[in-house]
Amino acid sequence: MSTPDADGSAEEYADVTAGEEVTRSGNSFAGDVWVNFKRWNVKAIRNPFVLVVSLVQPIIFLVLFTQVFGNVAGGAVEGATGAGISYETYLVPAIAVQVALAAAVTSGIGLVNDIENGMFEKVLVTPMNRTAIFLGKTAAEVFRIAVQIGIILGLGTLLGAEIATGLVGVVGIMGIGVLFSLWFVAFSNSLAILTRDQESTIIGANLLQFPLLFLSSAFLPLETLPNWIQTFARLNPVTYGVDATRSLMLDEDVMTVIEVSWFDGTLNGVVPGVAVLAGIGLLLGAVAVYLLSRASSSDVE
Amino acid sequence: MSQQGSRTTVDGDRTNSVSETVSRAAIDVDGLELTYSDGTTAVQGVDLTVPRGEFFGFLGPNGAGKTTTIKVFATLLSPTSGDVQVNGFDARSEARKIRETIGYMAQETSIDPELTAEENIRFACEAYGVKRGERAERVSELLDLVDLADVADKRAEEFSGGMKKRLDAATALAHRPPLVFLDEPTTGLDPKARNRLWEYFLRINDLGTTIFLTTQYLEEADQLCDRLAVILDGNIVADGSPDDLKREVGGEVLAIELEGGEDVRGRATTIAEEFDAFADATVTETEDGISVTSEVARQHGTDLLVALRDAGLTVTGFNVRAPTLDDVFLAITGDEIDTDEMPDGDRGVSR
Repeated sequence: MSTPDADGSAEEYADVTAGEEVTRSGNSFAGDVWVNFKRWNVKAIRNPFVLVVSLVQPIIFLVLFTQVFGNVAGGAVEGATGAGISYETYLVPAIAVQVALAAAVTSGIGLVNDIENGMFEKVLVTPMNRTAIFLGKTAAEVFRIAVQIGIILGLGTLLGAEIATGLVGVVGIMGIGVLFSLWFVAFSNSLAILTRDQESTIIGANLLQFPLLFLSSAFLPLETLPNWIQTFARLNPVTYGVDATRSLMLDEDVMTVIEVSWFDGTLNGVVPGVAVLAGIGLLLGAVAVYLLSRASSSDVE
Repeated sequence: MSQQGSRTTVDGDRTNSVSETVSRAAIDVDGLELTYSDGTTAVQGVDLTVPRGEFFGFLGPNGAGKTTTIKVFATLLSPTSGDVQVNGFDARSEARKIRETIGYMAQETSIDPELTAEENIRFACEAYGVKRGERAERVSELLDLVDLADVADKRAEEFSGGMKKRLDAATALAHRPPLVFLDEPTTGLDPKARNRLWEYFLRINDLGTTIFLTTQYLEEADQLCDRLAVILDGNIVADGSPDDLKREVGGEVLAIELEGGEDVRGRATTIAEEFDAFADATVTETEDGISVTSEVARQHGTDLLVALRDAGLTVTGFNVRAPTLDDVFLAITGDEIDTDEMPDGDRGVSR
């Protein structure tokens, strides 16, 4: 195994297997992450259906909402954020968050499939670092989410939305979308481990999507909504994700649930949202990591 | 049924020179116990030494603890108590070193159906740290070995069961491990595919790889294994070479076919058990009659046949033969090994 050009001859094989020294693999942490990142990306490309489906629903929302509700909602939006903002511009950040939500569900589905086809266990008996295994998988999913948000922003611009902060805003919205997705990625993976069933995972995660989206600041300004929704929205991560991305979109502080004045303007809307999302992500991430490590070590088989 | 003798010798060796045994034994287990979190004890007090280079077979009925034991060796389960050394590494504190030096083929075929055959093997090479420069060659070598080179670029989901199994086997060997665990590798395969895998396992064993095999097919164990152990209710109840074990059954087997149903076999069993000449014999019901294992099966067989006829039973066939592993298994477990297609059989306990 030490010779770089292994010719695969029987002698060499025997030499390797019967020798006193057992061959140790020399994987690095980054290498392990990369190997898994690659596998999940290849799988995503092989299965374009999943990629497309998690984009179709948000796109339908984007087109239908702006066309059907545009005129009505526009007034409410103008009342809340000041004049000159189209409903397209107002809605695109919410759709970006919806994309993150929909794509995050597929993370848990991937895990269930891995458990079902034996790859989960197979990967656990390799010497790869276990943290790196799941980091690589999550990185692939997050990468996909960033690309999908990019597509939505492009489409939104075509429909007439304006990103006031320009290219920096695009990168920022992708970043917040990715950060936002983490808690739902963790949630769908936790569901996956607990149910070990593809349908339960899909139903469980999808069931939450609409309540989360509608009971938030995603589609209309909070103050135009009933009180009970406003109360729920304060506890809803979607509100923080939408308000933070929307602040970048409009280049003004439109964070509705936390008032801070640490910075000038826009950042006052972005930073609190990012902080809350990071906190929720860490919390649910810890739960998922706990469940994963319990499932991948003894006694839980 | 005791190979206690030979095992003590090995253990004795170990006390004499610890380092020597560590480098020689592929697996060295002392008092392995495993209790699941729900309180089920799957393995109780397994002692086992498998020297390097051996083709070792691990037999037992479904739910006896085979898969649980193999999962402990593969570091998927942590032992409740006992000392487990695999390739000289401790299963608790040096799990990663064990993972680097073993191949593991799970009972359920484990491949990524969305990847091609080549990609599956390449992923295994990368996961096991096969050097970049060697990967391409290793992948094609393994594809050749399991005869999948012509479908290398096809997705695994299109493969037949036998092809998937072969692909799975190839991925378990990506890093040329000195020790390979095969958990019922041929369950559910047709005879041709099975033979192909056997050849392949024998070949890597010839090249020096230690093989730890569990199987439901006793013929498979008989043909492949240098040494066998039988596990029953979490304990090892017999071990030795296939020939040793057959010898221990003692005598020969008189197999009698009878016309009629279960009650006929029941009556025949009673008659055989009460037959004076066969006082020491083991009598068991088989699918189509009874089987009597005795030192004097050849001498007194005809007398028993006459007695059966006198009792009004119709004997449709009989033969006297040397014991097979099936008889060994029957004698030890009191039950025929379950060769029905039950790929999930062992998982009731292990999952």
